[in-house]
Amino acid sequence: MAYLSEILGRPVIDLEGKPVGKLRDVIVRPWAEFPHPLIEAIAVERKNGVEYIPFAAVAALLSPVIPLKYRADEIPVCKLEEGDVLLSRDVLDKQIIDTDGARVVRVNDVEFVWVNGTIYVSNVDVSWLGIIRRMGLTSLANSIGGHLKQKGISWEDVELMHRDQSMQLRVPATRLHELHPADLADIVSDLNRLESGQLLDSLDVKHLADTLEEVEPEFQAELVEHMSDEKVADVLEEMEPDEAADLLGDLPKERKEDLLALMEKEDADDVRKLLAYPEESAGGIMTTEYASIPPDLTAGEAIQVLRGMADEVETMFYVYVVDKEEHLIGTFSLNNLIFAAPGQMVSDFMTEHLITVNLTDDQDTVAQTVSKYDLLAIPVVDDQNHLHGIVTADDALDKIIPTAWKKRLPRFYR
Amino acid sequence: MNEITPPLKRRVLPGFWKRILIFLTIFGPATITAMADNDAGGVATYSLAGAKLGYPILFPLVIITILLGVTQEMGMRLTVITRKGLADLIREKFGVKVAIFMFGALLIANIGTLITEIAAIKTTSTMLHIPPIPFVMVIVLVSLFFVTKGNYKLTQGIMLVASLFYIVYIISAVKAHPDWGLAVTNLLYPHGVDMTSAYMRDFLLIGMGVLGTTITPWGQFFISSFAFDKKIEKGKINYSQMETYWGAFLTDFFSFFMIVATAATLYIHAIPLVSGEQAALAIQPFAGQLAGVLFAIGILNAGFMGLVIVSLSTAYAFAEFFGISGSLNDSYQKSKTFYILFVIQLIVAMAIALFIPLSLFKVAVFTQTINAVALPPVFYYLIKLTSDRQLMGEFANNKFQKIFSIACTVIIIVTSLFTVATIFIKT
Repeated sequence: MAYLSEILGRPVIDLEGKPVGKLRDVIVRPWAEFPHPLIEAIAVERKNGVEYIPFAAVAALLSPVIPLKYRADEIPVCKLEEGDVLLSRDVLDKQIIDTDGARVVRVNDVEFVWVNGTIYVSNVDVSWLGIIRRMGLTSLANSIGGHLKQKGISWEDVELMHRDQSMQLRVPATRLHELHPADLADIVSDLNRLESGQLLDSLDVKHLADTLEEVEPEFQAELVEHMSDEKVADVLEEMEPDEAADLLGDLPKERKEDLLALMEKEDADDVRKLLAYPEESAGGIMTTEYASIPPDLTAGEAIQVLRGMADEVETMFYVYVVDKEEHLIGTFSLNNLIFAAPGQMVSDFMTEHLITVNLTDDQDTVAQTVSKYDLLAIPVVDDQNHLHGIVTADDALDKIIPTAWKKRLPRFYR
Repeated sequence: MNEITPPLKRRVLPGFWKRILIFLTIFGPATITAMADNDAGGVATYSLAGAKLGYPILFPLVIITILLGVTQEMGMRLTVITRKGLADLIREKFGVKVAIFMFGALLIANIGTLITEIAAIKTTSTMLHIPPIPFVMVIVLVSLFFVTKGNYKLTQGIMLVASLFYIVYIISAVKAHPDWGLAVTNLLYPHGVDMTSAYMRDFLLIGMGVLGTTITPWGQFFISSFAFDKKIEKGKINYSQMETYWGAFLTDFFSFFMIVATAATLYIHAIPLVSGEQAALAIQPFAGQLAGVLFAIGILNAGFMGLVIVSLSTAYAFAEFFGISGSLNDSYQKSKTFYILFVIQLIVAMAIALFIPLSLFKVAVFTQTINAVALPPVFYYLIKLTSDRQLMGEFANNKFQKIFSIACTVIIIVTSLFTVATIFIKT
């Protein structure tokens, strides 16, 4: 086991022992087959500037003096390739994403491991020991180190971030896709603008939409500021209509219109409808994605119909029964449906005792009603009892519980 | 949403009001940092300055305003553009050893500052017949509670309200019936007193002390961290720059009245003052009881603000230097170290100030010495970072900004080193 901080600055000598220069950086190249990259080259500071020497020309890297296999005038040099990572420039002291712990951390050191004559990057060190070692107190760090649990992050779980504008995230950030959108949102808010832009760019539309839904509304608008209209329109189609409306509401008017025009008509119409209502009213916080069926079906038929809706309606707590003019006439839960005999008519087992809110009701009223009757979602109707949408319990509470307090609530209640 | 960030959504606004509203969404960090620069130690120094030197010591205020504005603007711009704090960038660009040195200096100087705040609160509360030890403890507990339990907006809101309290100095100054004409003209050039060589020497010394309490390392780190925590959008940079200048102006606007209040009473009647806190008591015979009490309340308020902001600045800097989570919007669980560091400093400073008999003068000198040592590197890194085109793009310092900021920095550094040197020679 060896550390990057220990070997940086060490003298590099040639075959005959003459000084060549000082070690400035270690270049690794990530490859697809194995999560731990191999050392590709070293950067040596010589009199006439920094040169990159292929690792094959290095006799021993992890020694007090680094000998090369060539004489000073025969040393081969190489060029950097796209995708190369310079451990000191890109990793040491920089922030990385720990995809295992879903957090942003600062790298104190990089750890190498020597296996059968090959040197790999094994871990990044984010612990206090790393800092003590960097202070030049290696022996102190080692003596404490024996008693403490090492807090290294395996390179496998490291997602790099680059400040250089011309560089994109080089490895497709596959590991990020495994994170929960809420974790991703947390990470995004920890990053600087450029990095968060890159991170979001690397996500597919579905994941991007989920992540944006988790980010604070004021921050959403900023994040999509530099994305192309086409991409944002795709994302908006993917988002729940109420979240999409919130996001659009934060954007400048012209951009909002452009985006709505780019969206598929059906989705755009849903969102437009929501934008028409005041932000703090039931109409403003409702979603138009709900399941509704006519009353003259049997339970068996209803299950078939609902299965067909699965793609459009993400969460289905209750099913709403509407007549031909979209009047809300009843509701039942999925429980009711499953326990009903397949031949039973919907109108027989649905509840006709309805708890609804009006489009223009204040969001506080919505939240109070939801919590009073312990509902998971509440239908929103107009004065003629036409069903327009539903407000889910989490959205209703979202508006009255400040985010900071909400974060303390157990996951279940969010 | 509270009154500070009104909803901009779905409303058509005329240009002017729209701009005002945008300004309000970014409003906070610069004003709070600048106001906290007038902490209890600052108020004491200004009071002492006015009492000893009269109106002419108003003259340096204009220069201080410019210096404060220029340096704070750099910190603000750096953070809004890069979305990183000053400490973040120092660690990334200059490595871990620099980070540890800077943090060490900041921590020690900040604890020194906190001790002087608590001492000032103690002295002042005794004057108001409030039992000092319970009072200090209550203040510390209250700040602990809202910082750990609340979020960014709550802390910002409370600090802005505290900023409003500086108005008491205007009332105290008015009650002192000063010669307003003489006061205002002294902003342009110092006059109206007998400029003996002894007077000139005090003028220089105290003038530099005034500068030293206003421009501090923690102020540089804090504006950057606080703006970072607020997540100000890059597009609003113009507004944020405006706020830094406004903040600098506002701070010295109030400093003006602090000096006037003591100049019009204590200087005119040649009442000597041992320490600045006693000004609250000393001006009563001339300006009336109300003015004295208000002056004392002002010091308590300034001390409270200083305690929270200085302590936060250390915690923020630690989080940035060493890469842990540190945000007022995080839960205690997520940013544990950040909050614990905030608490520990307050407790340590409180214990030292309340229970260990220390010469306050020595603590102040010590703090100022550390600050003087830390200021040159802070400004060196700040100017280097804000001049970095790769980092700042089109917002990097242009030639004029660079030269002007270097000139300002040199003035500040020479002043702070000189102040420390003279204190050491004298003692």
